[in-house]
Amino acid sequence: MRRLPMPILAYFAIMAALPLFMGATGLFYDAFQAIFVFSLVGLGLNVVTGFTGLLNLGMAAFMAIGAYTFAILTSDIYPFQIGFWWGILATVAIGAVAGFLLGAPTLGLSGDYLAIVTMGFGEITLDVLKNLDAVTKGTQGINPLPRPTFGSWTLELQQERGWYWLLLGFVLLAVLAVRRLERSRSGRAWLSIREDALASQCMGIPPKRTKMIAFATGSALAALGGALFAALLSSTGEPASYDFQVSILALCIVIVGGMGSVAGTLVGAVVMVGMNSLVLVKLADWAGAAGVGNASNVLASPNNWKYLIFGLALILVVRLKPDGLLPPRLEGGAS
Amino acid sequence: MSLLDVRGITMRFGGLTAVDDVSFNVDEGQIFAVIGPNGAGKTTLFNAITGVYEPTEGSVRFRGSPVRLEPDARLGLRAAVVAILAGLSAFIAINIQELWTVGIAANYALNQPFPWAKAAGDALDAARAVPFAWGVLPAILGAGVGAGTVVALWQRSRRTPDLIARAGLARTFQNIRLFTDLSLVENVLVGMDSRMSSGFWTNLLRLPAFSRERAWTEREALDLLEFVGLAERAYEAAGSLPYGHRRRLEIARALASKPAVLLLDEPAAGMNPSEVVELMELIRRVRDRGVTVILIEHHMKLVMGISDRIVVLQYGKLIGQGTPAEIRADRRCIEAYLGTEGEG
Repeated sequence: MRRLPMPILAYFAIMAALPLFMGATGLFYDAFQAIFVFSLVGLGLNVVTGFTGLLNLGMAAFMAIGAYTFAILTSDIYPFQIGFWWGILATVAIGAVAGFLLGAPTLGLSGDYLAIVTMGFGEITLDVLKNLDAVTKGTQGINPLPRPTFGSWTLELQQERGWYWLLLGFVLLAVLAVRRLERSRSGRAWLSIREDALASQCMGIPPKRTKMIAFATGSALAALGGALFAALLSSTGEPASYDFQVSILALCIVIVGGMGSVAGTLVGAVVMVGMNSLVLVKLADWAGAAGVGNASNVLASPNNWKYLIFGLALILVVRLKPDGLLPPRLEGGAS
Repeated sequence: MSLLDVRGITMRFGGLTAVDDVSFNVDEGQIFAVIGPNGAGKTTLFNAITGVYEPTEGSVRFRGSPVRLEPDARLGLRAAVVAILAGLSAFIAINIQELWTVGIAANYALNQPFPWAKAAGDALDAARAVPFAWGVLPAILGAGVGAGTVVALWQRSRRTPDLIARAGLARTFQNIRLFTDLSLVENVLVGMDSRMSSGFWTNLLRLPAFSRERAWTEREALDLLEFVGLAERAYEAAGSLPYGHRRRLEIARALASKPAVLLLDEPAAGMNPSEVVELMELIRRVRDRGVTVILIEHHMKLVMGISDRIVVLQYGKLIGQGTPAEIRADRRCIEAYLGTEGEG
């Protein structure tokens, strides 16, 4: 903890205290649980795209792999039932392996080509999940899923505060891991590839291996996000919950927050997902109460403006603060 | 035996022969210069030596070795493992519905112990019953693709710049290529990567080896910045440095790997006379550290002043080599520079 910079410390202090001022249940928790899940996915994408400069448009696929791995290994409709914690561990490992497997043949590709491959991977994963119904239960999703236990105590689904802090704890772990890697030989190798791939290789950094490790790290974090997302709902949900829009949302989080900035990713998740699950939902409520929104007029429902607003936010950030809300800063100095 | 032995390097791009049958030797401890008019093929030659390009013909030997991966048992093992895994994956991917239904779904009942052995047996039986076209054939195809991919990827990575850098040849670039968003220290630390040993888990878990390595690498990085005269800006972004200083940082970064040979591509480009004098001094000090220096340079005063040996390129061909005095007396070399036979 001692080396975490101020914005990150402030973020965790505020987030940890926030539920104390809120009721025990409500919209607030739905929104923030989603924010934390997407913080994990965003942190993963930040390693791949922000640090290493590899455009990955298939983060949702790794989320889906995480959710389904967790579900298959823990749900009582299958014989494995390894429990919540082992399930999370196994999911992170399998997420990393999935990243390796996709990375091994494709990371020789540069820039746009890699983006297209990852996008295709996302679509293929969705189709596989939809059609492999003997294993994935098709569009119905796998449920129910187990709840986390601490000794003899179980965190029930309706204990929203508990889930909030649990997810925040996972985000903190992920932040610590990513920060440690960033400020080490591994992270410097990633950054050097982003900065100048040829110079990096001429300094003796093996590009492929380095990219693979970044890819696997990012995928493992996204898989963790997916597993927690499924655990929260006690269901993987339908495969369409992990579609291309989700990958784009993850990318928006990183761009809005600031490419290559851990603090920025956290803020980006609050802004983008908060807008989606808090502001828009509230707006829809108000519109409904005021009698503006009715089902026959699609334009009157704020939810249908979602992607327009995402797009607008993205354009505004790129125009006004091209490095993101909290761009990465140089650190170090006399220690 | 000479340190670097360039033998008959030819570099063709389509119909253009950028470097044509160039051979020379560089001895240890020399400052060795490659000169020639623009477009003579000097940078291409550098790129061929450092593995950015694979020479069309010829070879580069460093301490008598070609610095190239040779096929070994590990490659065979890796290909075999990948082939088996890929074959199995192909088989499972095609038949998963069937295997899962027979093996797991049919044997499982809620709240009853799961008969693992029976499930495995049933799944195996089902696997055996798969027709050739859906079982053995895709497995063979998968294995072939897997092994082929391993060999193809290996083939492409036989003589890459990172391999050559790790062998002890470091370089700088004509159009300076720094990691501009990283600090000066971090730039040098990236150069030091080949001498570090901490891996992913050491860094993630902050094992004791991490702190030990961080301590000595940072100290040495600061020493190197001191050596090139940039220590007081160590924690600023490389992108904030003025042009003349960037060259120095690039040299520090290249030296960080403790190379045997340092290749400098036009280090004096864009420098004013006093900066050139400082640079000459720096290059001499690099040589005095025991590093053999090979440089491409246009700045005649610098080249003639510090080089032990010079080769002259024109239109990709080597037209002369010798000591500075010999080159100065060579009519062909003078003509190449005065450009009497058309502009190069």
